[in-house]
Amino acid sequence: MKTLLIAASLAILAGALPTKADVLDAVKKKGVLVVGVKADYKPFGFRDPSGAIVGIEPDLAADVAKRLGVKLELVPVVSSNRIEFLQQGKIDLLIATMSDKPERRKVTLAIDPPYYSDSVNILMSKKAKVASWEDLKGKVLCGTSGAWYNKDVSAKYGVEVKAFDGSEKPLFALKGGECIGYLYDQTFIQGKLLDADWTADYAMPLPGVMEAPWILAVAPGEDGFAKFMTDTTLDWMKTGYIVSEEKKWGIEPTDYSKRMHDKLKGS
Amino acid sequence: MSEVFTAAPAARQKGDVLPVLLPFRAPAPRAWRWPRLRLVHLVGIVGALLLIGGGAFAQGGAPRLSALEVIWKWFPLLMSGFGFNILMSVLAMALGTVAGIGLGLLQIGENRFLRRLAWAATQFFRNAPWLVLLFFAMFMIPFQFRVFGYTIPFPDWVKAIIGFSLPVMANMSEILRGAVASLPSGQWEAAESLAFSRRQTLFMIILPQCVKRMLPPWMNLYSLITMATVQASIVGVSEMLTLTSQVHAAEGGRPDLLAPLYGFAMLCFFVYCYPIERFTLYLERRFQLNQ
Repeated sequence: MKTLLIAASLAILAGALPTKADVLDAVKKKGVLVVGVKADYKPFGFRDPSGAIVGIEPDLAADVAKRLGVKLELVPVVSSNRIEFLQQGKIDLLIATMSDKPERRKVTLAIDPPYYSDSVNILMSKKAKVASWEDLKGKVLCGTSGAWYNKDVSAKYGVEVKAFDGSEKPLFALKGGECIGYLYDQTFIQGKLLDADWTADYAMPLPGVMEAPWILAVAPGEDGFAKFMTDTTLDWMKTGYIVSEEKKWGIEPTDYSKRMHDKLKGS
Repeated sequence: MSEVFTAAPAARQKGDVLPVLLPFRAPAPRAWRWPRLRLVHLVGIVGALLLIGGGAFAQGGAPRLSALEVIWKWFPLLMSGFGFNILMSVLAMALGTVAGIGLGLLQIGENRFLRRLAWAATQFFRNAPWLVLLFFAMFMIPFQFRVFGYTIPFPDWVKAIIGFSLPVMANMSEILRGAVASLPSGQWEAAESLAFSRRQTLFMIILPQCVKRMLPPWMNLYSLITMATVQASIVGVSEMLTLTSQVHAAEGGRPDLLAPLYGFAMLCFFVYCYPIERFTLYLERRFQLNQ
């Protein structure tokens, strides 16, 4: 009995070592593509009442699966575990609102060009008469403490940024009239503006500034899959798939997706 | 002084013996019954409903769902998440109990080395924060095993169950050791005088008497582990709390929904755990008297 147990545990240990193979082949063999997406980031990835994850990124994932001719499996990820899941091989592809950072490029294989780009924008009270970023001089904005652009925006446009913890507190402050707008990620503000509660009195009148690209990622070493994803991304831009997805889910297409579409349309 | 002198003859006149001479007889245990609704419960329930429905009154007229409507819309999804919590708690409890009984038996065993080892393991897992053990299980166990060419997947929730069963195991081990220690030593001596072996004494005399002593703390432990399963949301298991925050995001992250949604999660756990707690209390009262 004991020897059997030891043999079994040894076999498990030996088997637990990661096996390296081309993911693209493995996916086709399995017939399932596993994609990590967000489930708490409306409208990029969120739950519908049936429990399914829907949104722009699940649609992109479905398109990848369709191109490969395999079934799709979505795994909800959060910022703290998404890279780990990719490294473990638990997911084959990551489409999860991940901004492009050098330290992330070190541990994953990022796909170029970035498929999407967020920027910085302001959820502005409709009462404020602001037509451009330059008009903001001397005004007060609410912000989230820790956001990297607070200082830059404040220095560049001469606006005062009152920082609060998280995203709920500055929104409360905005409603309470402590500031004329909330300086935050454009995608987040667009998500807010899907809600009737905000569209009545607030809008996003200015163009986004300080673009921060979002990257797709595959596990390091998966060059074949990365090549396929680069081609897919370029094709999405060419056909305007991302722009149409943005419209489908009710947000204003970003400058980046429109620009990339215009650039690649004719090619 | 005068009271004593006047009271004593009065008692004797009735023909009773002095109360101190009566044998001690505890009052009979009350039969188990479901907790009755009292005014205080009513206040609690109404309060919870007001908290959940509060958003409905606060807004008025706006073209959006009230908090109760939101909860109703997502009810099936949230309940599936809650069911998952229950499943995790039951499986973690089952696994932990079996392992804990083994560890507890080693703790009271005759082999000194094994006894020390079991004691050390019990103390280690009993005094480690549950969340730390959970993190350990999540990140140390691979997501799949390959055994003889077969791939055995090891999804997150299975790892979470293992993570939760570790503290259950340690606590169960200590419950068993405590129950055995609490039996009068006369039981062991009497069994020995009747030529029972150690093993026979343990399994035929001691442990059967321990079961009822162990039952209340065991159920208490179950209640605790059920409530602890929401910690799995931190490591990304799609249980009730994870789904609650995702539902909140899907509803546009409205601040007025925060309290009702999380309040609903709290209510679910309360409704599940409160009867368990009452039943434990009843068992405790009942078993105390029969020893």
